[in-house]
Amino acid sequence: MRDGDLTSRDVAALPSTCELMEREWSPCRHACPVHADVRGYIEAIAQGRWRDATDLIRDNLPFAVVCGRICHHPCEANCRRRDVDDPLAIRELKRFVVELQGAEGATVHKAASQDKARVAVVGAGPAGMSAALDLAKMGYRPTVFEKFPVAGGIPATTVPKYRLPREALQIDIDWICAHGVELATGLEIGKDKTIDDLRAEGFEAVVVATGLAKSRLLPMPGADHPRVHPALKFLTDVSFDHPVDLGQNVLVVGGGNVAVDAARSAVRLGTGRVRMMCLETLAEMPAYEWEQQEAQEEGIEFIHRRGPIEILVRQGQIVGVKARAVTRVFDENERFDPQYDDSDVIELACDTVIMAIGQAADMGFVEGSSLRQDDRGRLVYDAATQQASLPGVFACGEIVTPPGSAVEACASGQRAAVAVDLFLRGHQIRIDDSLPPEIDSIAEDTAEKVINVSREPVEAVPPQTRVKTFGPIDKTLAREAALRESRRCMNCGAGAEVLVDKCAACLTCLRVCPFDIPKVTDVARIDSSLCQACGMCIAECPAGAIIARGWDARGLPARTSAALASAASDGHAKIVAFICGHHASAADWRGESEVVAGVAEVYLPSVARLSVSDLLAAFEKGADRVLVLACHEGADRYPQATRRISRRVDQARQLLAEVGLDPDCLRMLELPDEDGEAVHPALVAAVETLPAG
Amino acid sequence: MIVAERKPFDEILEMLAPQKRVLVLACGGCVTVCLTGGEKQADELASQLRLAARQKGMDLTIESDSITRQCDREFIENLKADPGQYDAVLSMACGVGVGFMSELYPETPFLPTLNTTFYGANTAPGAWAEYCRGCGDCVLAWTGGICPVARCSKSLINGTCGGTNDGKCEVDQEMDCAWLLIYKRLKELGRLDEYRKIRPPRDHRTDRGRGVRRLVHEEMVELEEEESQA
Amino acid sequence: MTLPVSRFQEALEAGEFVVTGEIGPPKGTNVEPVIHEAETYLKGNVVAVNVTDIQTAVMRTGSMVGCKLLLDRGIEPVFQMVTRDRNRLALQSDLLSAHILGIRNVLALTGDHVAMGDHPQAKPVYDVDSVGLLQAITGLEAGTDMGADMKGNPNELDGVPTFFKGCCVTPCTEVVEPQIIKLEKKVEAGAQFVQTQAVYDPATFETFMKNIDHVKIPVLVGIVVLKSAGMAKYMNRGVPGVQVPDAIIQRMADAPKEDRKKVSAEIAGELVREMKPMCQGAHLMTLGWDDVVPDILEHAEIKP
Ligand SMILES: Cc1cc2nc3c(=O)[nH]c(=O)nc-3n(C[C@H](O)[C@H](O)[C@H](O)COP(=O)(O)OP(=O)(O)OC[C@H]3O[C@@H](n4cnc5c(N)ncnc54)[C@H](O)[C@@H]3O)c2cc1C
Ligand code: SF4
Ligand code: SF4
Ligand code: SF4
Repeated sequence: MRDGDLTSRDVAALPSTCELMEREWSPCRHACPVHADVRGYIEAIAQGRWRDATDLIRDNLPFAVVCGRICHHPCEANCRRRDVDDPLAIRELKRFVVELQGAEGATVHKAASQDKARVAVVGAGPAGMSAALDLAKMGYRPTVFEKFPVAGGIPATTVPKYRLPREALQIDIDWICAHGVELATGLEIGKDKTIDDLRAEGFEAVVVATGLAKSRLLPMPGADHPRVHPALKFLTDVSFDHPVDLGQNVLVVGGGNVAVDAARSAVRLGTGRVRMMCLETLAEMPAYEWEQQEAQEEGIEFIHRRGPIEILVRQGQIVGVKARAVTRVFDENERFDPQYDDSDVIELACDTVIMAIGQAADMGFVEGSSLRQDDRGRLVYDAATQQASLPGVFACGEIVTPPGSAVEACASGQRAAVAVDLFLRGHQIRIDDSLPPEIDSIAEDTAEKVINVSREPVEAVPPQTRVKTFGPIDKTLAREAALRESRRCMNCGAGAEVLVDKCAACLTCLRVCPFDIPKVTDVARIDSSLCQACGMCIAECPAGAIIARGWDARGLPARTSAALASAASDGHAKIVAFICGHHASAADWRGESEVVAGVAEVYLPSVARLSVSDLLAAFEKGADRVLVLACHEGADRYPQATRRISRRVDQARQLLAEVGLDPDCLRMLELPDEDGEAVHPALVAAVETLPAG
Repeated sequence: MIVAERKPFDEILEMLAPQKRVLVLACGGCVTVCLTGGEKQADELASQLRLAARQKGMDLTIESDSITRQCDREFIENLKADPGQYDAVLSMACGVGVGFMSELYPETPFLPTLNTTFYGANTAPGAWAEYCRGCGDCVLAWTGGICPVARCSKSLINGTCGGTNDGKCEVDQEMDCAWLLIYKRLKELGRLDEYRKIRPPRDHRTDRGRGVRRLVHEEMVELEEEESQA
Repeated sequence: MTLPVSRFQEALEAGEFVVTGEIGPPKGTNVEPVIHEAETYLKGNVVAVNVTDIQTAVMRTGSMVGCKLLLDRGIEPVFQMVTRDRNRLALQSDLLSAHILGIRNVLALTGDHVAMGDHPQAKPVYDVDSVGLLQAITGLEAGTDMGADMKGNPNELDGVPTFFKGCCVTPCTEVVEPQIIKLEKKVEAGAQFVQTQAVYDPATFETFMKNIDHVKIPVLVGIVVLKSAGMAKYMNRGVPGVQVPDAIIQRMADAPKEDRKKVSAEIAGELVREMKPMCQGAHLMTLGWDDVVPDILEHAEIKP
């Protein structure tokens, strides 16, 4: 036995082999701040299991719709598929499925009884709502106090609508509230009520999640002019359709994402010229590349390496900004430490200035409480326990973390919920942040064997149209495209595991693996970082010594039974169709069972996983006829899969004949590789040619 | 290793006919390696039997289990099922396993599902061929490592017969003439003198001539006895 | 030098070109027709007649009884013995029996595998091979059998047989060296004459004979009488070490049905004539067409 070897005993103790996914995480999951089971939900999408996919996403990510739209998607940045062709369009897939399902199409996991302590959450942003949701699921009674009339935090109040339509965001809020999260909007803590009041009202814990709602400003001549707008206030005003005083020549100061949002919003308000000025070069700019690009498409000009020193005001009007040259932005240790060349000063003409140089907290909530702040005005807080300076008061989200993303705020909120629970149960607050190891990147020679499939493009609205409205800037994937895209996922870390006690070192796995992954010494071992999870070896191992981490083969008979039970047969022969969920031309398959009378459709990640006994088991489960619909040779994501499964079908036919059953009751079809119509007509045609019942 | 092939299904069905509760027991040894008697094949057979039972209206309960080897008593500890609880066990092991398990469970009939065919090696994926016959008096030293007892269809020991044809055996055009192989190999090795030597008729006492063959390592036996005395 | 034990041996030692024939006992007890044919066509034309031993593993009457019947009609038999069907006990016992019956020529063969015959389910014995059988005969002649007593001393016989011992070789096989080595071993084991597998190509045979120049026992070239072009083709396909040249097949094919025996005898006769200078005799395997033997001899320019 070597380190990491598994035995059948280890696995017998698990409720499902899917638990083995915890042995190593795919990089997408690892990189995701809330560690959503990316691979899992992508596979569910690939099989048209929309609700399963949505539930899997929402298990970790309450702001699924928000993140489907605006997440900075570290999952994609780390997707192993980037070493093959392009990373998966993970965010787009998420957007597709969670919006398709809406709030109703996601399962609500309400606590069996919600009778534990009341908890007040201050701020209905991603952090606060996430904390509240988890507390509600644990049986606590959270109330979220929000100063704005709407819940959602920055995404609801500030993020431009062209990136995040509010009705989309509402799906998340509705789903969260369905768990028993109380909302008290339009109530500002520190003004309408104090934290002490909340404690007095019987809230046994308070979670502060007030975010960073203020823009930082630079003290300089002219900075107090009414046409100098703090970016967040500007964006919030735009968001609530409040009037903003904007001229025809706007200069946005700042190079981050907020600056881009402000600039693009200004464009949409009909401003003639919008420029962004920042300390950084194009490459150094903190705004995401795609944001920069879209901004440029919309006519926004960038001025790099300039810092403002004065806002020039003549006759009460802003006429320009004086800016000096920047010699460097970061020091040797890559810390922000800009240096200027005061001899190089230019004047940039403009009539409006939007300041987007950073965010700051609105500490109003502290009013009337004894919460402590440090010398720089920041809330005193212990990152390990999420506790502020008063017992029972916790903090999470951007108020205590540096500005980041919505999903990071969710993660912080979830962590706070854990802390609150420990506290309320009288435990010491100790949170284990350790994660399972991350699966290695794909080896070059394995990557070469993976069949290339290009990433599905997202249809963007052309810049000339999109600058005119705050409507969405792109369309999500069509169903067919989403199915195709999700099937690009390589199932990282979901691959084969050898149960070493059962392995007879027969070498079969080594011989059938199309990617040459198994190595057999004393026993077979399969390197998880190389395995492509095709399942070929699993179906062939004579010892039953190989299982898939991410696929519970034991579950297949149950799925087959369930499919059979739900397929209406009205006296006809009962037919099970095992269908390759990856079929390239399954494009006509809209992710919904297209009921052919009497046919129970069972979609699989690849029919390569079907073993001979799986085929026989379908008959045992009550099928009179079994069809296997595979991709035609060459179209399967896994080399050789079609040929292998066709041999298995032949073998199973032989075994059926021995039993005295008509071997023609089991048939394999290779689907044509044409776009459009394939699975459905093939099924209809095949059903007609099967022996009569 | 031991190579076996599965018996015809009808024969298996016939031999278990009167039984109602039957365990199909895979063996994780040689027969797994030759893809005949492993857990996968046991599952397949179990499935077949259940289907046949349904087809024929037989009252038959079939379950399956597997064991690391059916030729060592210690492994029965790992069984999930208790063979004693069944009317019969269909063993997927070679004859050794069937026989040995029958001894361990004298009350339960152990029925063979395989025909134990030969001691062989894997010649290509999915293919095995006989290399040794277990004759008890190995001759490979002077036959270039090619066994004439196992691989010559007549087990000749002095060279090719007249039946060698284009390098193939008269019995089967697909089968190499072992003696031609031996000849070529010895020639390559520069050891044709081995071929030239007359080999006297073999002493079949080491082969099947005297019933059950046994192997006893005295040093092991003594140790075990000492232990049981202590 | 010991005295010849048979007329066959005597003729060869006298340097005559010796012709032998062959009969195959019937499947059943009706043995008379075969013996009668032998008496009619072979007696006087050939020096000795081989009696096959369950030829091609097709079950039939035994060789020993065939030999005995020939002896009774004044024809000298060659007792063919294959090792396929008898273990060493039976083989040695039969040798003693044969000697008692007056049989003196014995041809030691391995024998076609049971798989080739009509009882493929039978257990192939091959307890000894042809070399072992020759050793066994030599041993019997020396007064001991293959066994031994408790002390390891060979068992003594009470009454010792003598035989003229022969063996077989396939001259026209692609790789001939292993055949030759085996022939050397047979000679070492006691073989005194060779009857070869069928030869149709004198040139190949000539090379073969040169290759076994060092083997100092008489060689009778084997001639299988062709019955049809189809048979020739079949032999090329299915009979090990036999190659009928296309020209001969053509001659058979061109012959009208009624002339086939004639043409066949012509071919066989010509072959014998051509190979006569290379060897010490010819073994004619007529496969039941015993009546062609006189014709063959005529074409071979051999006087009986
Ligand atoms: C312009 C802009 C664009 C962004 N774009 C993206 C993006 O594309 N992708 C991304 O992932 N992230 C983006 N972010 C960051 C993201 O919005 C934040 O990381 C996230 O909202 C932080 O969540 P939070 O819950 O900590 O705080 P917030 O979202 O700020 O929520 C805090 C909430 O508390 C309320 N509150 C504050 N004080 C009180 C009080 N005293 N009483 C009651 N309520 C109070 C606020 O009104 C607010 O609703 C963007 C941020 C900005 C500013
Ligand atoms: S290929 Fe799939 S599992 Fe692998 S990193 Fe990308 S999304 Fe995650
Ligand atoms: S196929 Fe199964 S038994 Fe064979 S070497 Fe691989 S893991 Fe081991
Ligand atoms: S056959 Fe497929 S599942 Fe098995 S090791 Fe190879 S890639 Fe992984």
